[in-house]
Amino acid sequence: MFSYYLRLAFKSMGRNPILSALMVAAIALGIGASMTTITVNYMMSSNPIPEKSEQLFYVQVDNWSPHNPYDDETGFPPTQLTWRDANNLYNAQQGTRQTIMAKSGGVVQPDDQDVKPFEAAFRLATNEFFAMFNVPFLFGSGWDTQADKNREHVVVITKQINERVFGGDNSVGRELTIAGHTFKVIGVLDTWQPIPKFYDVENGAFEDIEDVFMPFLLKEELELPSWGNTSCWKPRESDGFHAFLNSECINFQMWVELLDANAESGYLAFLNNYVNEQKSLGRFPRPLNNKLSHVMEWMEISEVVEEDAKVMMWLSLMFLTVCLLNTIGLLLAKFSSKSSEIGLRRAVGASKKDLFYQHTVETACIGLLGGLLGLVLALLGLTGIKSLYGDFATKVANFDFTLVLLGLLLALISSIAAGLYPTWRACNIQPASQLKSQ
Amino acid sequence: MNPFKDAGPILRALSRNKIGAVLIALQIAMTMTIIVNSVYIINERYAKMHRDSGIDEANSFYLRSVGFGENFNNQSTIEEDIRNILAVPGVRAAMQINAIPLSGSGWSMSLQREPGADAEDFGTAVYFVDETALEVFDLELVAGEFFSMTDINWRQAGQSNWSDKVVISQALAERLFGDEDWPQGVGKTVYIEDKEPMVVVGIVDKIQAPWSGWDDLDQVMLSPEQLDYKSVRYFIRAEEGRRDEVMQKVESMLAENTQRVIRQVRTMEETRERSYRSDSAMIKILTTVMITLTIVTALGIVGLASFSVNRRKKQIGTRRALGATKSDILRYFMLENFLISTIGVVIGAGLTMGLNIVLVNTFGMDPMQWYYIPIGMVVLWCVGQLAVFGPAQRAAGTPPAIATRTV
Amino acid sequence: MLKMTNVKKVFRTDLVETHALRDFNLDVKEGDFVAVTGPSGSGKTTFLNIAGLLETFDGGSYQLDGKCVSNLSDSQRSKLRNEKIGFIFQSFNLIPDLDLFDNVDVPLRYRGFNRAERKARIEQSLEVVGLANRMKHLPSQLSGGQQQRVAIARALAGEPRFLLADEPTGNLDTKMAHSVMELLQNINAQGTTIVMVTHDQKLAKEVQRNIFVRDGQVSELHSVGDIPSAAMA
Repeated sequence: MFSYYLRLAFKSMGRNPILSALMVAAIALGIGASMTTITVNYMMSSNPIPEKSEQLFYVQVDNWSPHNPYDDETGFPPTQLTWRDANNLYNAQQGTRQTIMAKSGGVVQPDDQDVKPFEAAFRLATNEFFAMFNVPFLFGSGWDTQADKNREHVVVITKQINERVFGGDNSVGRELTIAGHTFKVIGVLDTWQPIPKFYDVENGAFEDIEDVFMPFLLKEELELPSWGNTSCWKPRESDGFHAFLNSECINFQMWVELLDANAESGYLAFLNNYVNEQKSLGRFPRPLNNKLSHVMEWMEISEVVEEDAKVMMWLSLMFLTVCLLNTIGLLLAKFSSKSSEIGLRRAVGASKKDLFYQHTVETACIGLLGGLLGLVLALLGLTGIKSLYGDFATKVANFDFTLVLLGLLLALISSIAAGLYPTWRACNIQPASQLKSQ
Repeated sequence: MNPFKDAGPILRALSRNKIGAVLIALQIAMTMTIIVNSVYIINERYAKMHRDSGIDEANSFYLRSVGFGENFNNQSTIEEDIRNILAVPGVRAAMQINAIPLSGSGWSMSLQREPGADAEDFGTAVYFVDETALEVFDLELVAGEFFSMTDINWRQAGQSNWSDKVVISQALAERLFGDEDWPQGVGKTVYIEDKEPMVVVGIVDKIQAPWSGWDDLDQVMLSPEQLDYKSVRYFIRAEEGRRDEVMQKVESMLAENTQRVIRQVRTMEETRERSYRSDSAMIKILTTVMITLTIVTALGIVGLASFSVNRRKKQIGTRRALGATKSDILRYFMLENFLISTIGVVIGAGLTMGLNIVLVNTFGMDPMQWYYIPIGMVVLWCVGQLAVFGPAQRAAGTPPAIATRTV
Repeated sequence: MLKMTNVKKVFRTDLVETHALRDFNLDVKEGDFVAVTGPSGSGKTTFLNIAGLLETFDGGSYQLDGKCVSNLSDSQRSKLRNEKIGFIFQSFNLIPDLDLFDNVDVPLRYRGFNRAERKARIEQSLEVVGLANRMKHLPSQLSGGQQQRVAIARALAGEPRFLLADEPTGNLDTKMAHSVMELLQNINAQGTTIVMVTHDQKLAKEVQRNIFVRDGQVSELHSVGDIPSAAMA
């Protein structure tokens, strides 16, 4: 029966080509717009590290000014830590694992004279960074705790930098001048681009990862500049790099790995204790306001999914609704012209259910056609988004299999829903009324 | 003659056969909501994008120089660079600077009229400039005087104290000294970092901070200092129309010094475009949505109206037989659509306000002005009437003889 | 009242030319009650459409109430229909979404009467057909006979010069048909001219004057009993 209904559906569409085309087009437009914005939202809010996103927590403590909060609107604590707090919390080693980090930069001078010196972005971090974030290596590995403590001049570079400087060879053991100092390469990363770049959303949630990774304490050792955002509420005590490190200026970040809810509450208690201790030393003038956020929570607080993307998604769904209202009207028109055929079918023995099924098949066909066309339109839409927004959009404006399925499902369900009333009306026609010549 | 006198029977008939009317009314309502709110967002963004930065954007560009190596001398490199840049034909003015308007990154501090940690303070962007800044940025001095060459000092990395003198933007002066009395600010003392005094020696007309989304966008202070850093920016203003040729020459000239890397050579136009890229994109997307939506709704009305007319062919024939002229029939359907559209735009007005309230609360936009709604209603009325005109004309062409047919 | 002289109507398609009416002659006097009968395809319907100004004709002349209607525009014809003719259709042709009051109102609105005038006329004509107490009902709530009576009320409300009825009892059972015919006879007795097209010979017999149409032409029967047997075929 199903293939029979399928044939009937296509015949029926062929009999009213303009009407059918209008319906398919309306659904396609609605689906196209919706899938474009849903894709952007979906990719922007995707979980970059699903296997352990609930065990990685971003640490915030509130060292801000007594006169005003860091964030007037939300009352949330500052989004970064001071040098002192980062080191103190790290050294306490209260989590299963933890890492402190910062963004910096400087000039890289390859030994090879043919490769010109260039400016690179640095990620300063402790050794746990690589294990905590499941960072993949192509060659070699990260450094160990001793290297951190001893402030060794070792570096992990990305695949792209390895290509640029060493021609893609296994460069473990080779040397490189960075920020005027000699470094030894101990590891090369494989392709790694978390989307979003969750470990440092402060500096751009869809930025590329940094070019080189080196031990955290080298910041102090080599007086490396502060990249990203630096904010201070209190004037510094004196001039110089160390005055900056000892100030209330924030530029540093901390992630801690906690395996369950107990560990989480335990760590929060530890943070509170720490802050109270610091209060007795005259710091932390504001009331207790410490926060631990797991990856997805942190994405939300940081508003990684841009407001504009959300607005557009809701507008698209409203657009889809209008398209569906349109479809209901057009289906009413289409089915009403078939009332004599329906009367005949009923007269020769079709039940209301049979007719309902037949017309639902027809609606579903229109819906699927609209959905397929809609996905094509969405591809166009995503291309448009990429050209309008540039860089970051190329990471985010892409289909995957789940989204294609979602699009077709959305088309199917919404068109069947739109077809319910017209189909019900069509099936409830009294056969006798249609068989008279009037 | 009252065009609405036949509204009574039309409404009564509609109330007994609601579905077509409801569908059209709802489509009109939702289309109006989306379009009016979209236009409102577009206008907001457009205004935001076209705020004047105060500088000569068409002819300006900038770049970064990152020095490296043991023997790199910041000061002599910078002085030599500026000399060489100014010698390039087509260069009108140039100087070293710490941050670029609209670029997204820079320095911010706050200034206050009284010293003390709890005095009222005002956010300020900080630009470190030299004595040629007026020419470099195309600024107009509206009060006091500007820095002279002898005022300019080198600023070290990690330096915590500030200059004795400062020049501020008019917008900042208005906030510090009042909307009317701001010229009196010249010669007064302001405080930075709670307690360090600086004297306002001059006020300039307009210059923007680096962050386009900042509330205090026009509040800027110019400090007579040049950074003694390895990594610096140069801002260059070319003569009218010569920017691209100058940019090429300056870049290749500076690159001759191999002890430093030249990076991020950008024009101000590109910077503005990047800065407002998402606003510009939003405008284009919303415009596309609006146009598509209007077409979809119009076609939907045409479809539904045609269906409705077809269904009533017998009735139309009967009316003609009873004495209706063609224009009577046309007017009947235009009026019927007008009444349905009225219901639609009334619902639409409510939905539009509702959506606007949601947008204001969730996304912090400003509320829409009242006149958007009546304008939106008129537009949708027109869309509906235009869409139904074709089917109504066809209805009017129904031959009266249909009334006597029995099939 | 209604005078057709040598009226001709031709329907042309690509392949075929059909002479629906040829040399059609008819003179209806005021106060007549005429039944026009004939087999299917004889041209009765075409005659009806032309008499009712629903269609134009290709030759001859037609004078309605003393006025020649040959070269009228569409709006002029509409006006004439509205003022002079009261239509009664086989399938009643009531508007299903309007109640009886609004249905009878339809031609009055095109006439341009004011509200009070219309109300008075509607109430009166519904009274005449005996349905004044059901003014707010919908056609679907009435029997076939009652619906046809409403249609008659609608035809009468504008005080037309004559009623033009197309198979008025065609969709009714015997009892209802009888009561509708009785109503029409009453109306005719009051002085209203009626032209009725029907295929029902028995019905035609009840009426004052019979016209027989065959192959687009008229053959008049002066007395009721005089029906050629060939015409019954």
